[in-house]
Amino acid sequence: MSGAAPAIEVRDLRKDFGRFQAVKGVSFDVAGGEIVGFLGPNGAGKTTTIKMITGLLKITSGTVRVEGLDIREHPAAARRKMGYMSQKFSLYPLLTALENIDFFAGISGLAPGERRRHAARIRQDLPEAVLRQKVQDIPPGIRQKVAMFVCLMPDPGIILLDEPTSGVDPEARRLFWNDIYGLKTQGKTLLVSTHNLDEAEYCDRILILHNGELIAAGEPDELLRRQGKADIEELFKDAIHDHGQN
Amino acid sequence: MVRFQEISKAFGAIRAVDRVSLEIAPAAITILAGADGAGKSTLFKMLVGLVKKDSGAILLNGADVGDDYSRVTSVCGYMPEKFSLYSDLSVEENMDFFAAVQQVPEQRRRELKQRLLERTGMEPFRGRRAGALSGGMKQKLALSTILLSSPQLIILDEPTTGVDPLSRIEFFAIIEELKREGRTIVMSTPYLDEAEKGDHIVLMRKGRVLRQDSIAGLRRAFPARMFRILPRGNVFAAMQGIAADPELAGRAYLRGKFIRCLQEGRENPGARIPHLEMVEEQPTLEDMYIYYERQA
Ligand SMILES: Nc1ncnc2c1ncn2[C@@H]1O[C@H](COP(=O)(O)OP(=O)(O)OP(=O)(O)O)[C@@H](O)[C@H]1O
Ligand SMILES: [Mg+2]
Repeated sequence: MSGAAPAIEVRDLRKDFGRFQAVKGVSFDVAGGEIVGFLGPNGAGKTTTIKMITGLLKITSGTVRVEGLDIREHPAAARRKMGYMSQKFSLYPLLTALENIDFFAGISGLAPGERRRHAARIRQDLPEAVLRQKVQDIPPGIRQKVAMFVCLMPDPGIILLDEPTSGVDPEARRLFWNDIYGLKTQGKTLLVSTHNLDEAEYCDRILILHNGELIAAGEPDELLRRQGKADIEELFKDAIHDHGQN
Repeated sequence: MVRFQEISKAFGAIRAVDRVSLEIAPAAITILAGADGAGKSTLFKMLVGLVKKDSGAILLNGADVGDDYSRVTSVCGYMPEKFSLYSDLSVEENMDFFAAVQQVPEQRRRELKQRLLERTGMEPFRGRRAGALSGGMKQKLALSTILLSSPQLIILDEPTTGVDPLSRIEFFAIIEELKREGRTIVMSTPYLDEAEKGDHIVLMRKGRVLRQDSIAGLRRAFPARMFRILPRGNVFAAMQGIAADPELAGRAYLRGKFIRCLQEGRENPGARIPHLEMVEEQPTLEDMYIYYERQA
């Protein structure tokens, strides 16, 4: 690897909520241009970690650097490099897709010319009729595509997606991953959390988090081979089991 | 054990279930798989009499149920999609409450409760408020409450939706154990990789059955072949070539550094995609679902 700083560098990251340790000293890198999958059971600490990376949640201890910038020392500059779609993110159901795009472009401080450019861009991907529908009437798969589009309007180089495919039907899920690959070809870096284990195969590397600790990290094929597991489901189950439950 | 014959149900203009016929075999796991709006929940509700069918017949052990759904409910346990637990009661209190509702005799209740708590791994949490349980544990508690009446037929509507993968794996292990005890299980799921584990799989879309069979049977009957291709050069460039090729567009998608491509006719995709390696693989249930869904 070259001497350039990783896109994301996480070191000994911890988060305590009162006496509860949600993230217990986690370290990993995400290299520029790679897709990293973030796996783990409910409550593993995925969302908490992602929120600390984005600077939305106060770090208890440890460091996060984004392209070399410490998130605590340079929060504004570091944040400008990142786009984030939260697990709970939702568009306004009663507005149309286009109205949502306009609204979010507005609050992200994009100039009107920029907004028109974005609206033109999504028209290349989705039919006008769909874009003029109220979001609540748009099928979940397409809705999620619009949501991601909205989150990525500022055109960040590093993209964090928290469970973007939950509740999305199979075909839409494939199309969604095609979009993610599209972002990768543009040179973007992606950290994607998911509960769909089969999506691990789409990632350059995966991280498995359990009870606030990182219990496995590596390329999916390599991890399977090294640990002699038949598939990701077995790898996941055994990693958690070996690590002791609860 | 149960047979649906040409069952239909419309809500206004929406045909929620449209002439569905299927058989739920005893001591096996039948899985209805499909996205939202496939009609899975409506089918279950008709089986337990919560929704009145418009037409068709439901047979239980060969006899028409007619309007007497108590014949079904007396042998089944039904876990609806939005199951209800009392969040302010403990795990154990919830079980006692549901046992009382189902009139499980005292002695039997105590034995079964203990067995279920152990089997589901919830023993350490018996005193915890249901509201404070994780999603996966709530699911297991809900399953336990319906198992208290020792039902022969177990109906589970999307028991694993939105639950994390570990809980899903554990939940399925319990279901398989119930099958080994000889119970009949019918469940629905939006996860096609999970549905692959069923003995009989019913692929549903918009109220209709696309296909149904065992996974092996579905694969045998599948008219297309799936290839995993390692393209020469840049995989994204290869994808762009595919998108522009009318023979291949819409049939290939990226999967890591590979392209997976469906061959429908005789044309070999390898001849159209410059590649280093091409291997035929078994189509997954998801591959088949998407294929049939497009044809529908
Ligand atoms: N604001 C908070 N106050 C107290 N505890 C919290 C808070 N936020 C998260 N937690 C706890 O921290 C732990 C990690 O939660 P987190 O949401 O990061 O997990 P996750 O891996 O994203 O799970 P999921 O798969 O359910 O999204 C959980 O036990 C959670 O209850
Ligand atoms: Mg989360």
